[in-house]
Amino acid sequence: MLVGAFACAHTPQLLARPETEDRELVLRVHAAFARVKRRLEALRPDAIAMIAGDHIEAFFLSAVPALAVYVGTECAGTFGRYRYRFPIHEPLARALVEAGIERGFDLVYTQDAPLDYAFYVPLHFTMPEPSVPLVPLHVNVYLPPQPTPKRCYEWGRALGEILGSRSERVVLMASGGMSHFPGTDRYASPEFDYDRRLLDLLSAGRSRELAAVTAEELDRAGNIELRTWITLLGAVGDAKADVYCYEPSWHHGNAVVEWPLAIT
Amino acid sequence: MVHYRFPPASAYRLNRCLFALKSDDAFRSRFRADARAAMREMELDDADAAALLRGERDALVARGAHPYLVFMADLRLRMEREAVTFEYF
Repeated sequence: MLVGAFACAHTPQLLARPETEDRELVLRVHAAFARVKRRLEALRPDAIAMIAGDHIEAFFLSAVPALAVYVGTECAGTFGRYRYRFPIHEPLARALVEAGIERGFDLVYTQDAPLDYAFYVPLHFTMPEPSVPLVPLHVNVYLPPQPTPKRCYEWGRALGEILGSRSERVVLMASGGMSHFPGTDRYASPEFDYDRRLLDLLSAGRSRELAAVTAEELDRAGNIELRTWITLLGAVGDAKADVYCYEPSWHHGNAVVEWPLAIT
Repeated sequence: MVHYRFPPASAYRLNRCLFALKSDDAFRSRFRADARAAMREMELDDADAAALLRGERDALVARGAHPYLVFMADLRLRMEREAVTFEYF
């Protein structure tokens, strides 16, 4: 069953805290992450299914999967001196691949890919101790053509149904965004107004409208990673978002959000 | 797409080199020791090699490099070359 749903930023500056960053802003995002951690402790999930967009780390141009599931016993990743290793909830991961394929999603699965920082930056701050087993779910966000927002939403809806039929208590977490433009002239000028309008929509429970945005719009708004959120929205339906924080830094719209779910 | 475009096959070797600079510690060390030899290893042509040596982002992107790979390859090199202060607070 799906017991919780969250979305959050993963900018590495939150972890590495270089001197380019506004200390107070970063600490406010850390405080929002700490709230997520407390919620996870209260929700007691058997697994965290985490939807993140690979930053051309696990998958290079040798093969570019639109949607993938990590199905192994554990996963690990490194960024500079930061090193992470998490257990994978293998039975659940395998069930998601099998049920997803059965429903017509041509999923890639991997037992070998390294874990991207989009996964472990939020988990650094939110993972309860001992570690809750993870099911990493990849959505291609950086290598066009990416899956359409509509397809992401449909995959999320299927994920919600599959998880709903399982006995495990599962938290869904989307990692990504909000507006940022790494490697471009726009890096220091994200589209914060776009983010704020979007958060208003999500707070009003109008998330299904996001299934209709275009790839072009996401690219223009610096929100290609929003595909991970849109996937999650397919699973949470019309639940209203509780925005823990929205902290626009000089390069990034940092949001942390929960969709409180009615658990039956 | 305005910001992130389809990576053209003509830029495959360039993107492979940037990917290695980003994610392969051993390659990054070889590049720092002898950039030209490392770029020969990646079979870069002269124009790609020149743009990469000069660190010209716009030229690299114009040649088909993925902007995120250019950004992160540069960051990872700077993280090792300079004493970037991490965990500043």
